[in-house]
Amino acid sequence: MSEQTLIKEICPTTTRDWLADGALLVDVREVQETEALAFDEADMLRIPLSAFEERYSEIPKDRTVVMACRSGARSLRAAGFLANHGYDNVVNMQHGMLRWAEKGFPVKGSEAEKARKGESDCCSQPGCC
Amino acid sequence: MKNIKVLGPGCPKCKTTYQNALEAVKQSGVEAEVEKIEDIMKMMKYNVLTTPVLMIDEEIKVRGRVANVNEIKDLLTE
Repeated sequence: MSEQTLIKEICPTTTRDWLADGALLVDVREVQETEALAFDEADMLRIPLSAFEERYSEIPKDRTVVMACRSGARSLRAAGFLANHGYDNVVNMQHGMLRWAEKGFPVKGSEAEKARKGESDCCSQPGCC
Repeated sequence: MKNIKVLGPGCPKCKTTYQNALEAVKQSGVEAEVEKIEDIMKMMKYNVLTTPVLMIDEEIKVRGRVANVNEIKDLLTE
């Protein structure tokens, strides 16, 4: 997906293993996106990228953190930002909600039913890059 | 010579900002070079989050939206 070496990237399947082992999922998509389709994970944070600079300190430094968004692009930049701000345990979930939903992993929201059937157009709207 | 950077992964808003920067330089007559930066490592170095980002002489001036020509001209002649 990207030629960079700063941040480790993992797939949605590996992400679920890490979450089961206590990692924290951080979703950086905007509110209208998460209201339509959200990761159905109990232990997670939602910090929109547009508010990330002000709110990133809500993320604990003593846990492994998996950053996520729609396609993995915005979350990668957020992960880089965290790495540059003293966070050592940050990884990026490659392919984002697109692949997560495609795999049939837990989702909720107004588009969840459609996503489960692979019809959701929510994922086709560009949440910008 | 001023240095203008437009950072972003190449989405339509990034391209528009880049074109606006070129036009602003032309209209203002200010001596400046305009760079388009799409490399993720460079974007991370500058802690780019929302895109596009417009930088002038290594200082972030506009982020997360398209900067229009007049706005860029004003920034160049500040």
